[in-house]
Amino acid sequence: MKKLQSASDVEKLRKELLRKQDSSKSCISVCSGTGCHAYGCEKVVSAFENELKKQKLEGKVEIKRTGCHGFCEKGPIVVIYPEEICYLQVKIEDIPDIVSQTIKAGKTIDRLLYTDLKTGKKVVHESEIPFYKNQTRLIFGNNRKIESKSIDDYIALGGYNALVKAFSEITPEKVLEEIKKANLRGRGGGGFPAGIKWESVRNAPGEPKYVIVNCDEGDPGAYMDRSLMEGNPHSVIEGLIIGAYAIGSHEGYIYVRQEYPLAVENTELAIKQAEEYGLLGKDILGSGFDFTIKIHRGAGAFVSGESSALMSAIEGKVGEPRPKYIHTSEKGLWDKPTCLNNVETWANVPFIINKGADWFGNMGTDNSKGTKIFSLVGNVNNTGLVEVPMGITLREIIYDIGGGIPNGKKFKAVQTGGPSGGCIPEIQLDLPVDFDELNKVGSMMGSGGMIVMDEDTCMVDIARYFVKFLSEESCGKCTPCREGLRHMLRILDDITAGKATEKDIKLLEEISEVVKEAPLCALGTTAPNPVLSTLKYFRDEYEAHLQGECPAKVCKELIQYRIDPEKCKGCGLCLKKCPTGAISGEKKGVHTIDVEKCIKCGACFEVCNFDAVSKISSKERK
Amino acid sequence: MKKEKTKSHFVGVRLTEEQKKALSKLEKTSDLSKTDILLRGLELLSEYYSLGLDRPPLNVELKKLEEEAMHHFQELKRIKRREESVREMVQELRDIDKIIDEYNGDKSALIQILLKIQAKNHWLPKPALMWVSERLDIPMSQILNVATFYKAFSLDPQGEHLVRVCLGTACHVRGGPKILDAAEQFLGVESGETTSDLKFTLESVNCIGCCALGPVMVVDDEYHGKLDSSKVGEILSNYRMKDMDRSEDKRKALPIRHEMRRGQSG
Repeated sequence: MKKLQSASDVEKLRKELLRKQDSSKSCISVCSGTGCHAYGCEKVVSAFENELKKQKLEGKVEIKRTGCHGFCEKGPIVVIYPEEICYLQVKIEDIPDIVSQTIKAGKTIDRLLYTDLKTGKKVVHESEIPFYKNQTRLIFGNNRKIESKSIDDYIALGGYNALVKAFSEITPEKVLEEIKKANLRGRGGGGFPAGIKWESVRNAPGEPKYVIVNCDEGDPGAYMDRSLMEGNPHSVIEGLIIGAYAIGSHEGYIYVRQEYPLAVENTELAIKQAEEYGLLGKDILGSGFDFTIKIHRGAGAFVSGESSALMSAIEGKVGEPRPKYIHTSEKGLWDKPTCLNNVETWANVPFIINKGADWFGNMGTDNSKGTKIFSLVGNVNNTGLVEVPMGITLREIIYDIGGGIPNGKKFKAVQTGGPSGGCIPEIQLDLPVDFDELNKVGSMMGSGGMIVMDEDTCMVDIARYFVKFLSEESCGKCTPCREGLRHMLRILDDITAGKATEKDIKLLEEISEVVKEAPLCALGTTAPNPVLSTLKYFRDEYEAHLQGECPAKVCKELIQYRIDPEKCKGCGLCLKKCPTGAISGEKKGVHTIDVEKCIKCGACFEVCNFDAVSKISSKERK
Repeated sequence: MKKEKTKSHFVGVRLTEEQKKALSKLEKTSDLSKTDILLRGLELLSEYYSLGLDRPPLNVELKKLEEEAMHHFQELKRIKRREESVREMVQELRDIDKIIDEYNGDKSALIQILLKIQAKNHWLPKPALMWVSERLDIPMSQILNVATFYKAFSLDPQGEHLVRVCLGTACHVRGGPKILDAAEQFLGVESGETTSDLKFTLESVNCIGCCALGPVMVVDDEYHGKLDSSKVGEILSNYRMKDMDRSEDKRKALPIRHEMRRGQSG
């Protein structure tokens, strides 16, 4: 690999790469994100390799392992270029057909295409699938076009162009000006304007200055940072170099959770490749600017995603937040001025530099510009990663892109912002999604988790779930957070067990108010959000629990399983699956559940093919 | 057996002067160990025995000889094991040295170093931590502070297979807790515990970033998505079966050792 010495070298390399590319040559692009990986995409790739050999097409067709395409529900995803034929849920058995019919004969295979839920029509091209069609895939769009381990693919697509532009055409001050003008707000949750943060780090006294990528995506239900870091690490690295150039920093860190091994691997490789090309190191592209990046693997602590805690973790200490009378932009890592931004924020930077702040400002709402990636998960038809312009309504995301709620169930709530966010009920579905609007309804943008819940979800159980999560993750430094959450959890436990009274709910509210005010970091101050928002919108469910009833039939203490004698066919499947031997009955006779032995695991409910097992309220039984 | 007696006795058999000389000569000149000589003798005797020359005293001697041979064999094995474990410990510390050198002994790399040790051993043994403390010049209390704060570290030995059940929000609303219940039922341990045969460690995790596949269980590096609780037992027992097959293959592959067969025949 030859080191690139100047801006024109990058352009030369790009031209050469493009010349080498044969646009008529077929390319099989296999999604290799973590979701598809779990579905077994590696086997699909090797099956393709074998089949191409068998059908004597070796070397004539390219195979690409790309980053996450986003439509994780339907993985493994295979897209055939140049026609852009998109096959979903591809199995090993389908591969001979794909090679012989699609690659050789140019025909599409209907059974592997997407079927429109409403019209029942088949959709051939990836971009025409409603899931993709209704998105604006700016940051995330390149993921499916490039091999995630190839710097050449990124450069061929125009990668590192923004860096060249920043070095050769504009000064660091101008870069900063552009980011400020674009009003890029931090994608990690807080929504603090990145330009202002950069400026204060730049102006803060003290050397060296540090820049950090925060990829400690601990929010349960969010995985967009992971997919970006795995699929297109160079876009984040390019953004980081530009940021460092604007701030005047020469050392950067990428903090990645060790739970994301593929992200660690691909980022390490990307840094190595960038170093070999001379895009990192001394005198980058002859600009005189030096910059290096190190990786720090996070060892698993939710609170370490908080800026000051993350910096202590990089220093090799326990990742606990510290008071921020002095901002980290003045005294951060090793008490030096430090700029920390989220993965997605950094990935936005090259786009703003390439296309300008005005172009960026055209997307989004007054105070929230650009796009945001959400992970649309839970009880929704099309789960996956979606990128939409700010200001789109929740309804559009859940119904137009997400395809609504599966199995004909009713929508109940959508939870945004991870454990610090809140639950938003159906009446608020037409809310435009941006930083400020979500705050107004008691939730927040967070890092972009969007968990859809159907009528079978118990909101008290959800509140309990988040409080339990946070009380386990609380570092214990501040008493209101450590003790407050523990007491809140105890009350919520009582409520879900039907042992609480009206007084307990009042106490819960009182503690919430204190926890909201007192702790040092946002883990504590936002912790009551899930409780307060569910109390606000779903108080009736709390009250039902006080009466000993769980409306969604989730809370174990308040339900019982029962076999309907009319519906039971005596197949014996539940009897076989019951782990405690609580079910008895003759073959072909009606089965019954022994309430004393039943541990309410729900195995019988899941396996019954005749809907004979039902959940009833314990009260009903009595 | 007393020490002075062994001079005139060889494993409980009274030796004549000539025999004594022959024996010491044999020990000096050949590279046979005492055990080897014993086993040779044992072989000769058993041939003798099988020729029908079974007088009661010979029988008793034979028995004694066999016992002694066994005793030596066990003792040797114990010494060998002790040597091996010391060698292994030294090797382990050398490996840790290598890891520390990768980071040039940088104090701030403590978490990275511990992560690598954890990945290698599946837990953080105390001698390893003491060595890290010594090499990086960080007090043991601080190291334990870090090792107990982060979830990736474990101060107890972990099972051969790490079973992680995702309880992230997306998995929670799709029935993650039921998967955990089923896994607890099947393995007979609670979340965070290791089975007594050190085969499985069960853990719950808060989101592994595979939300579209929820509920998810990850065994080692294999993802099992879109689960329902009735499949859990089957998946886990598959791992147990696989292990059993492998260990059986291993046993077949091992040659049956001569000493062992002899030892067992008595």
